[in-house]
Amino acid sequence: MKKRPGIGGRIGIGIAFLFLYMPIFLLIIFSFNQGESSAVWQGFSFHWYAELFHNRLVIESVATTLLVSLVATAISTVVGTFASVGLYSMGRRWREGLMTVNNIPMMNADIVTGVSMCLFFVAFFSGWGSFAGWVNSVQHVIVLPDRLKLGMATLLIAHIAFDIPYVILNVSPRLRQMDKNLVDAAQDLGCTWMQAFFKVILPEIMPGIVSGALIAFTMSIDDFVISYFTAGSSTQTLSMTIYGMTKKRVTPVVNAVSTIIFVVVLVVLIVNNVREARLEARGERQHRDHPKLDAIREYLGSPKSRWMKRGVALVCVVAFVTVVSMLTAFTNSQPVVNVCSWGEYIDEDLITEFEEATGIRVNYQTAESNETLYSLLKSGGADYDVVVPSDYMISQLIEEDMLAEIDYNAIPNFSLIDDRFKNLPYDPENKYTVPYTWGTVGIIYNTTMVDEEITSWSSLYDPKYAGQVLLIGNSRDAFGIALNYLGYSMNTTNEDEIREAYNLVKEAYDRGQFQGKVMDEVFQAMEGGNAAIATYYAGDFLSMQENNEDLAFVIPEEGSNWFVDAMCVLKDAPHKENAWKWIDFIASTDSNLRNMDYIWYASPNTEALEKYPEWYEEQYEEPLDEETYNIIAAPPETLERCEMYVVLPKHIRELYNELWIDLGI
Amino acid sequence: MPKELIQLRDCVMQYGDDVILDHINLYINDKEFLTLLGPSGCGKTTTLRIIGGFLSPTSGDVLFDGTRINDVPPYKRMVNTVFQRYALFPHLNVFENVAFGLRMGETVIGEGNARYKKKIPESEIQKRVLEMLEVVNLKGFEKRSITALSGGQQQRVAIARALVNRPKVLLLDEPLGALDMRLRKDMQIELKRIQQEMEITFIYVTHDQEEALAMSDTVVVMDGGKIQQIGTPEDIYNEPKNAFVADFIGESNIIDGIMRADGVVEIFNRKFQCLDKGFGKDEPVDVVIRPEDIDIVAEDQGQLKGTVTSVTFKGVHYDTIVDFYGFKWLIQTTDFCPEGSRIGIKIDPDGFHVMKKSKYSGMFGDYSSYSEEYDEINDPTLLDQAEEEGTDDEE
Repeated sequence: MKKRPGIGGRIGIGIAFLFLYMPIFLLIIFSFNQGESSAVWQGFSFHWYAELFHNRLVIESVATTLLVSLVATAISTVVGTFASVGLYSMGRRWREGLMTVNNIPMMNADIVTGVSMCLFFVAFFSGWGSFAGWVNSVQHVIVLPDRLKLGMATLLIAHIAFDIPYVILNVSPRLRQMDKNLVDAAQDLGCTWMQAFFKVILPEIMPGIVSGALIAFTMSIDDFVISYFTAGSSTQTLSMTIYGMTKKRVTPVVNAVSTIIFVVVLVVLIVNNVREARLEARGERQHRDHPKLDAIREYLGSPKSRWMKRGVALVCVVAFVTVVSMLTAFTNSQPVVNVCSWGEYIDEDLITEFEEATGIRVNYQTAESNETLYSLLKSGGADYDVVVPSDYMISQLIEEDMLAEIDYNAIPNFSLIDDRFKNLPYDPENKYTVPYTWGTVGIIYNTTMVDEEITSWSSLYDPKYAGQVLLIGNSRDAFGIALNYLGYSMNTTNEDEIREAYNLVKEAYDRGQFQGKVMDEVFQAMEGGNAAIATYYAGDFLSMQENNEDLAFVIPEEGSNWFVDAMCVLKDAPHKENAWKWIDFIASTDSNLRNMDYIWYASPNTEALEKYPEWYEEQYEEPLDEETYNIIAAPPETLERCEMYVVLPKHIRELYNELWIDLGI
Repeated sequence: MPKELIQLRDCVMQYGDDVILDHINLYINDKEFLTLLGPSGCGKTTTLRIIGGFLSPTSGDVLFDGTRINDVPPYKRMVNTVFQRYALFPHLNVFENVAFGLRMGETVIGEGNARYKKKIPESEIQKRVLEMLEVVNLKGFEKRSITALSGGQQQRVAIARALVNRPKVLLLDEPLGALDMRLRKDMQIELKRIQQEMEITFIYVTHDQEEALAMSDTVVVMDGGKIQQIGTPEDIYNEPKNAFVADFIGESNIIDGIMRADGVVEIFNRKFQCLDKGFGKDEPVDVVIRPEDIDIVAEDQGQLKGTVTSVTFKGVHYDTIVDFYGFKWLIQTTDFCPEGSRIGIKIDPDGFHVMKKSKYSGMFGDYSSYSEEYDEINDPTLLDQAEEEGTDDEE
């Protein structure tokens, strides 16, 4: 008799499954939410799925993911199968040693695999650069490209490399279970080794090959970390797109995509398991059960079908080669511009319009923070033309001589940019930048949880609100606000002032003033009414307000931080001419209006800024709330109170980090 | 004069320091049923695999019809094999299993010994497969799945699959090892019939001496990578060359003796008349006395006297163990002697077989430890599993 689990065991199993599946279940439910919130249910809708299929970035990355996964699966299945056969025919000691080596990449942290592959590719590229340079200098018949970049090819190589172990792991046991004499028998009956492989070994190990391929495929679809490090700037897989989407605003589109991925992976797994269970239950094969299958098998076995099979194989090969060469030809021949921006930071119809108008293809990528963008650029693997960093990062890039001077003659729309946003501290002579958006940081509070109108940073530290305040989760903003409150410059390099600000935060922190340090979690906490006060970006406040009308926003009387994200062109950008065209297109009034409407960050275009309320009324047939407008685009008198970040000297940056760590988790 | 078909000339097989075959010389005649007999690890399967082309000898030559074939791969040899556990192709049905070899084409030897494959027309394949299935009594089983067949039926498919190619030689590697006793006896007769009908050479590997004696024209007894004796079943049984052969083939009491003169052998300090000649005077020898050649007589009439220590009823006869001066003999007799009784024995001169001393002397022929389990140790199905070569690790 089987032992039944006790009550404790059953509860344990229940809790384990609850923790495993509850989040996924919630995600699926909220993918059908009508509103934008991930915390408040606002009715059933397929809205986000519809949006998903109109999201060009998602569709493109799905295509990339499928292409890479399918090709990587096909290649790694073939390579892995042959490798298994090789391992199988080795001596036991060698085989076991090599199997251990084979298993390491699966156990190894993806980040290590990803980083090491990235390093390897970059090292290879630099070696190749000198080699190609030499080849091109000694002869002129073949011209080798001297500048290789991370992209589809490296992504594919990486996927093949990490898929192979899974194939080997699935095929090897089938081989070992196979009667060793089968190969001898086939050779005895007139087969060469190769014929024996195709006629006997292959059918025997086919179930292992199929499950190996299925697992490799799901691994490929699933992978984020390794892809992230090897895809470079012109390629983006679905998981990378999703990650980028969570940067600025978490929209339920992410939930919709995730739901689809979950369902697809689930289906593949179920198919695989059902197939294996069936094979087992049926004792592998029962010809008598399937007269039709039998007939097919008979036909396939007959020599008549041989030409047929060859034909099918030929068609497959031709189709594959055509697709691949078309893809490469397509991507090679068309003029392109590589853009790296933030997730949810553009009205994507603009991309399509630009492509239609100019015939230039836009490879639109996203990074998740200024720091990531910086490290991507530094690693040398990316070949972006246009990037959209924030002010302080721009000064750092200028300092390190990574930006190209912009040819403003090619960008007539630059004249439309308001003078307030020109010659700012990060680019005093305005040689490198065209502003993209600007915005402010302020206090977001829940009017039902606070009994006064909040006007000062002081409420953040007011014991009255102990445990109800959310501290912004990065050191620059958290200490900057404290400095501002204390009446110092947000860009001070006076260590005493900084320590004073630290002590203010630390003291409040220690007595439990803050509920937690948050970045994107601020959406859920404020929308759900779990916290009374937070500090965050004005544009994001408007998203929160859509889901919770009780929220209010204020820029404190002490002042605050204001920021500009600007378009820059990299010094070694391969497509500068196209980059000018893109920047000019984005700087136009129409583009600015639409971006402002889409992302709710203010436009630097004078005309767009003025016209927006009018334009809004035309679009939505209702007037734009003046207060909302003032939140998106802070009026000049408010802006005067605000200070822009400049890049801090290195020792101050280190001090910030040190103090931030001291603050505790 | 029968035609010589296969010759192994001074074949050595060696893995590092491990000598598997130690200078084997062997002639195999056309249409002969030859058995390689020996315990596991004796080198019989290796010899078979060398003939089949799956192994190449470390040194020495393999000749087929007078041509050296050391380097001819298995798929070009006119030899087919029935494998130990049949090695049928599970993904093909009975018909396709049998047709497998024919679909690969026929090996033809052309000018200058060049071997090439000739295609066989589909109609001929159909005809030959169906014919062969009839020979092995599997008519009507064409569409069956291999996994749906019994052990005996699978065995027949394996034989049909090999024979349908009309090989000059059929190699059989312990083909009956996995069958039960009853089926094994039937298949022995069946195999012998097929061999005579098809008129081809069979090289048969087994460790079952009964099987070897029953079916073979020639038996090759092997041990330790060496051929111990080659001969007809009668020769091997009646005139074993050494203690190993005597012990391996049937039951034997093997006693230390001294050859006092031609026709006179001394055991237990008593002289006996025998038929053996040609040994040196006073040469120490091994004396074989088969258990069925001993007559039990009253104690006072016996040439030797002893005490019965155990009696086992075997149906046709009793296995009686008798202690003679500390040495235990096996006697097979229809007379019942109770345990503990004193008896005498008589042996006719033709009951003695005298052998030269060898490295096997003193290792066999004493029944002190005889018990029922002895038979189980000899059970071919158990030994069969031990026969598998070193590296396999089936889960």
